[in-house]
Amino acid sequence: MTTRTNAAWISDLRANGETRSKALEDLRVVIQRGLPYALSRWLSPDQPQFTALVEEVTQETLLRVIDQLGTFEGRSQFTTWVHKIAVRIALTELRRKRWRDSSLDELTENEDAPPPPGLLADSQAGPETSAERADMLSRVRRIIEEELTDRQRQALILLGVQDIPIEDAAKKLKTNRNALYKLLHDARLRLRTRLAREDIAPNEVLALFEPK
Amino acid sequence: MNLREIIQSIRNKINPPERLSNETVLGFLKALEDEGGDEITCDELFKKLDVYVERQADQRDAALIMPLIREHLDTCAECCEEYEALLHVIEGTAKNQTTG
Repeated sequence: MTTRTNAAWISDLRANGETRSKALEDLRVVIQRGLPYALSRWLSPDQPQFTALVEEVTQETLLRVIDQLGTFEGRSQFTTWVHKIAVRIALTELRRKRWRDSSLDELTENEDAPPPPGLLADSQAGPETSAERADMLSRVRRIIEEELTDRQRQALILLGVQDIPIEDAAKKLKTNRNALYKLLHDARLRLRTRLAREDIAPNEVLALFEPK
Repeated sequence: MNLREIIQSIRNKINPPERLSNETVLGFLKALEDEGGDEITCDELFKKLDVYVERQADQRDAALIMPLIREHLDTCAECCEEYEALLHVIEGTAKNQTTG
C-alpha cells in the first residue's frame, strides 16, 4: 500500500481514473485495519456478524469521506480523520441494536448522526479577498501584541502553534506544568475577550484562509 | 485604557515584540478554537476529536490542551465511547506498524 501525505490523499481522491481507484482501494485497507480495534468492545472478528458489519461500515465510510473531503482541515493525519468517520458510523450501527449481543451496555436508539458541518469558504480568491485577509491578519497581530505579555505569547506559540509536549514547553519557559497551564489559559482568555470586544470571531477569520 | 494596558503599551514601545509571522497569527486563532467557550456540543467535539485523539496518543496531555473536550467526555457517554474507540484504533494501528 502506498504511503501518502495528507495532501497526496486529497489530491489522489480528487483525481480521475487509476489514481483515484488506487487511493480508494488503499483507503479501504486503512479503514478495515482500524475497524477491529473500534469494534473490539462489542464484537470480535470470529463472531458471525463481524465481517458483514465491517464491509457495510467500510462502504459507508468511503462514501462519506468523498462527500466531506472539503471539510478536512489538515489538523490531524488524514487517516485519523477517516478513522473518526468510520468509528462514528460503526458505533451508530451498533447502537441500532442490530449487531450487539444481549450482554452489552444499555442500548440507545439513535438516528444516523448528521455529518459535521463543513467550514464555509469563500470561493473567490481575488484581490479583494487578499486585501481582506491582509487587513484581518494585521488587526489580529496588533491585538496579540497589545494584549499578551512575552511569556503568554511564548506559551501560546509552544503549545498552541508548535504543539510541543507540555513538559518540554515548561522546561523551555523555566516553569512547571501547572503554572504553564494557567499561563496558557490566561493568554487564551485575554485574547478571546479582546477579540470579542472588537467583534472578531476566530472561526470566521480562519474561514477566510480556507484553501479553495 | 486600564493600568495593565498602559504598562503593556509602554513595554511594547521600549522593547517592541518580535513581529509574528502570518502562520503564527493564524496558529493563535486555531489555539483559541480549541477552547471556544464554557462548553461544547457533541457536534463541535466530533469536529475536533481526531486532533484530540492524536494529541493524547502522542503526548498524553490532550486534556490539558483542550480541556473543554475532556469535560464533555466526562459527562457524555456516547462521545466518550467514540473517543475511546478512536484512541484504540490509533494506538492499535500504530503498534501494528512498528511491529510489522
